[in-house]
Amino acid sequence: MSNAKERKHAKKMRNQPTNVTLSSGFVADRGVKHRNRGGKPFQAQRQEPHYGTSRQRQTKMTPHSLLEPDVNEPSSSKVMFKKKGGWKAGPEGTSQEIPKYITASTFAQARAAEISAMLKAVTQKSSNSLVFQTLPRHMRRRAMSHNVKRLPRRLQEIAQKEAEKAVHQKKEHSKNKCHKARRCHINRMLEFNRRQKKNIWLETHIWHAKRFHMVKKWGYCLGERPTAKSHRACYRAMTQHCLLQDLSYYCCLELKGREEEILKALSQMCSIDTGLTFAAVHCLSGKRQGSVMLYRANKYPREMLGPVTFIWKSEMIPGDTSESRQLWIWLHPAVKQDILEEIKAVCQCTEPIKSTVCIPELLTSSQEKNHTELPDEKIGKKRKRKGDGENTKPIKKVVGDGTRDPCQPYSWISPATGIIISDLTMEMNRFRLIGPLSHSILTEALKVASVHTGGEDAEKTPHRWWIETCENPGSISLHRRQEAVFELLGGITSPAEIPAGTILGLTVGDPRVNLPQKKSKALSNPEKCQDNEKVRQLLLEGVPVECTHSFIWNQDICKSVTENKISDQDLNRKRSELLVPGSQLVLGPHESKIPILLIQQPGKMTGEDQLGWGSGWDVLLPKGWGMAFWIPFIYRGARVGGLKEAAVHSQYKRSPNIPGDFPDCPAGILFAEEQAKTLLEKYKRRPPAKRPNYVKLGTVAPFCCPWEHLTQDWESRVQAQEESSAASSPNGEETDLRRHMVPCVPTPEKTHQLSNEVGTSVNDPREPEEVMDTDCQDQAGTKMVMYPDAGENHVAAANSQLFVLRSRKLLKQLSAWCGPCSEESRAARRAPGRGQQELTREACLSIMDHFPRALVWVSLSLLRKGSPEPHTMICVPAKEDLLQLSQDQHYCGPQEAKHSDLFKRKILKQKEKKKLEKRQNRGCATSEGLGAGDPATGQEALTLGLWSGPLPRVTSHCSRVLLGFVTQGDFSMAVGHGEALGFVSLTGLLDMLSSQPPAQRGLVLLRPPASVQYRFSRVAIEV
Amino acid sequence: MAENREPRGVVEAELDPVEYTLRKRLPHRLPRRPNDIYVNMKTDFKAQLARCQKLLDGGTRGQNACTEIYIHGLGLAINRAINIALQLQAGSFGSLQVAANTSTVELVDELEPETDTREPLTRIRNNSAIHIRVFRVTPK
Repeated sequence: MSNAKERKHAKKMRNQPTNVTLSSGFVADRGVKHRNRGGKPFQAQRQEPHYGTSRQRQTKMTPHSLLEPDVNEPSSSKVMFKKKGGWKAGPEGTSQEIPKYITASTFAQARAAEISAMLKAVTQKSSNSLVFQTLPRHMRRRAMSHNVKRLPRRLQEIAQKEAEKAVHQKKEHSKNKCHKARRCHINRMLEFNRRQKKNIWLETHIWHAKRFHMVKKWGYCLGERPTAKSHRACYRAMTQHCLLQDLSYYCCLELKGREEEILKALSQMCSIDTGLTFAAVHCLSGKRQGSVMLYRANKYPREMLGPVTFIWKSEMIPGDTSESRQLWIWLHPAVKQDILEEIKAVCQCTEPIKSTVCIPELLTSSQEKNHTELPDEKIGKKRKRKGDGENTKPIKKVVGDGTRDPCQPYSWISPATGIIISDLTMEMNRFRLIGPLSHSILTEALKVASVHTGGEDAEKTPHRWWIETCENPGSISLHRRQEAVFELLGGITSPAEIPAGTILGLTVGDPRVNLPQKKSKALSNPEKCQDNEKVRQLLLEGVPVECTHSFIWNQDICKSVTENKISDQDLNRKRSELLVPGSQLVLGPHESKIPILLIQQPGKMTGEDQLGWGSGWDVLLPKGWGMAFWIPFIYRGARVGGLKEAAVHSQYKRSPNIPGDFPDCPAGILFAEEQAKTLLEKYKRRPPAKRPNYVKLGTVAPFCCPWEHLTQDWESRVQAQEESSAASSPNGEETDLRRHMVPCVPTPEKTHQLSNEVGTSVNDPREPEEVMDTDCQDQAGTKMVMYPDAGENHVAAANSQLFVLRSRKLLKQLSAWCGPCSEESRAARRAPGRGQQELTREACLSIMDHFPRALVWVSLSLLRKGSPEPHTMICVPAKEDLLQLSQDQHYCGPQEAKHSDLFKRKILKQKEKKKLEKRQNRGCATSEGLGAGDPATGQEALTLGLWSGPLPRVTSHCSRVLLGFVTQGDFSMAVGHGEALGFVSLTGLLDMLSSQPPAQRGLVLLRPPASVQYRFSRVAIEV
Repeated sequence: MAENREPRGVVEAELDPVEYTLRKRLPHRLPRRPNDIYVNMKTDFKAQLARCQKLLDGGTRGQNACTEIYIHGLGLAINRAINIALQLQAGSFGSLQVAANTSTVELVDELEPETDTREPLTRIRNNSAIHIRVFRVTPK
């Protein structure tokens, strides 16, 4: 019997009763009978080989005996035997003997046991299918599962039982209210309110939940991607139409206080090296949005916290420094906690303020109590809503952050500096419109608020703030100017034509009032596109500073706007009461006026191609108004994207995605760990034969990017190289000296002192000019300016963790070096005019010395085919690869040779050991305790196809030297071939660039983790 | 116009790569009609030519055929735009005519400061453009 057959048989017999045990006396007897059964020749045949060898087997095979009739006369069997013998004369067949006699009592006993087993087998259902499913097809009837009476009568009882069981099971899941009651508005609201206690819901949550795959991330429920197949459609929307995203989960921190105090505090957290800071003139005036990288105070370039964008509120009276300024810092929720703590520390804001924000939360908690009481009432009776009588307060929808603890403070004041920090998370909505049609959608969906004129019903309207504003002629004229600028936007075909980060404040009317009957597509209106002086002015200079003013900065007004929103129900009722159905609804002074802020988001700013791709507008709204704006945007033809579309957007824009592309900030590290975990789980779910063996492929870390190992390896690699060449180079001694000096530095006290020094040097970057850059005297002039504070940093750098290089000057230098400079003219043009250095060994060495463990953000575009995926390895091409490429333009790249799986044997051994133990355990139950303890104490379970234990030297593990890893990569529809973004080791990059011929400088190889094929691609650093 | 010219001179005087980064902005363009074709240097020439031909020919039975198309080229792409138009005309056996217009397009360059104390500047640069109308004539 073959193994497979045996298994099949065992499977068949699995559900047979096993409690039938026969006394040993019967074994021989039964075996004989078995063979005698001529009616089942096949089975008898199958069993034959075992007869002579193992008796034990037959006890297992007991079910066969059940097939026999109880009446088993020796005479008949004899006949059968003869018959069979004639049919097949096996050697065993003759060796067995027919029993001479049968003891009646034992025989009857055994038969009785068999009968009972048989009965049990009949009554007990073997499979886990329902009764009606076991019926043959011709006996099945429609709605059998629903109506028991459609089954044959004999099965009705069982089916009844099953149905009851099913109902019972269902009952556990269902709520204890009927469907209708659950759908009832108030109950639904209560339920929704309860469900947003744990994870914050955006205001568009219900809308998203119906159309998106939702994920719980960073304490929010967010739409990940549409359930519809829409990858390409969303891309098209970004490039040609308009993609809408709800970014309300972004957190806003508000800083209030004197300008110089805020600037002084925040300047410790950022560096001018990475770009403009909070103090940039155009941002400070409130004209533009700025973006900045935040670091732990005075720790630049290490201990990165995260990227943020910020907007200052424009000054009402320019030049008045005593005035209190307002600053909003917008950041991703993953990095919020760290940054908030650091800002609080920097501003010395320690005293919490009890704010009035708590009130709505208290309200909801009282409702919650009300809600929890409900189940206590008697079930079965019609429950009356308790709130009807005594509690007249209507149940309110949770607006804003549902998870907020009312007792926790959300704003802090500093007694020393007077800065107030408040956490405005979920106090505002932020919608992002991407794409060229966002202008027309905005201008069609939003109508600027009408100026209030009639004074007679001023008392009645709830929008007092607007009436008051309208009394002031100055603010009316400002409103008119804002309106004029906003109207101009409709005539501009792409948001990329407007200065980056332009801010426009606006007060608009209720967008629900002029909602179109049907979903339509807003198209840009050619009539509006007149090339006049005003448009020119807007394009050149952006929105004037005064027009950035918006009432959204004022908390009280926002609150009143949120509270006085007409509900959808009321609005629809009013609409239905119109005399002419479908005509324009005029609410007059009762119409809400909503202050909003529009912020232009620059698209792709860096690089050469696709400039301005993915630019758009962000709309900031007061909370509670999310859906009221969301639907009108969609009705004008915006397509909605989720988190995945946001990732695609940032990838095609070649900008780092938060938090995945910040490996040096805590949120990024956490993200990488989580990603590795989920990928590993996913990998383990597949059978070993159906998943790539990464050990054989030579992929050491397929699920994570070991940045630490990479940078360390490169550091030691270059050091070793240099030591070998130290004798030949003239200034080798000095560098060597420094090298040797470095490792003895890291003592705890000293590092502390050093960090202080670094702090001062960051504050005053011009101070430490007397750095020990002695080895590169020849270029000291440019060098000193390039990184004045690096000299002291580098001592600390040697013993500290990795960081990402974000100094713009250095990046510019690198990007100039990365490109191929085959044409002499180009190089000549570049070199003298811009003060760029030539790529020389010395220049590289000095940078390497300063930043031994730095990573650089690079973008890679594949030369030919191939689409990289995350965790793809970036490798240095060997000389022969480049040679081959230069000879054959169609050469697609070398292949990695197969590695041997070192762990396979170990795994096999482990498996065998386990098996052995199992067998032992089965044999003697006493040793069970020992056996169970053994594998636990041994090494952790190895997974076939994954590298286990400490990583080897990652750089030299494969045939091509590893340079870095890709973090985002895919086929890019924007450029039409594969594109990737990732980090490479700075040391490695410089080493590679300096050794490559100038014509082929910047070529690297990419290899996905599950492939052996390397593919050529070009490195670019875009600044 | 004059007031725009004036700061330009100042900018050029103090322009320094250490202090400013040049960022080119997209050219201001009018909304696209279906029969507008903007020629670029990145797309394959043949593909662009085929696109124009398709617009003129319409579907299989000549439905939705445009009687005229406009080919726009800016800067370096002027050559290519002319080339496309002439190729179209040559391949039409005299049924297509071309009429060209030239214009000047103002391009905006943004100068992003590298230091906090400087304002971002904008420069206006002129570039030539061509707009070729390719239209069908009934052959006599």
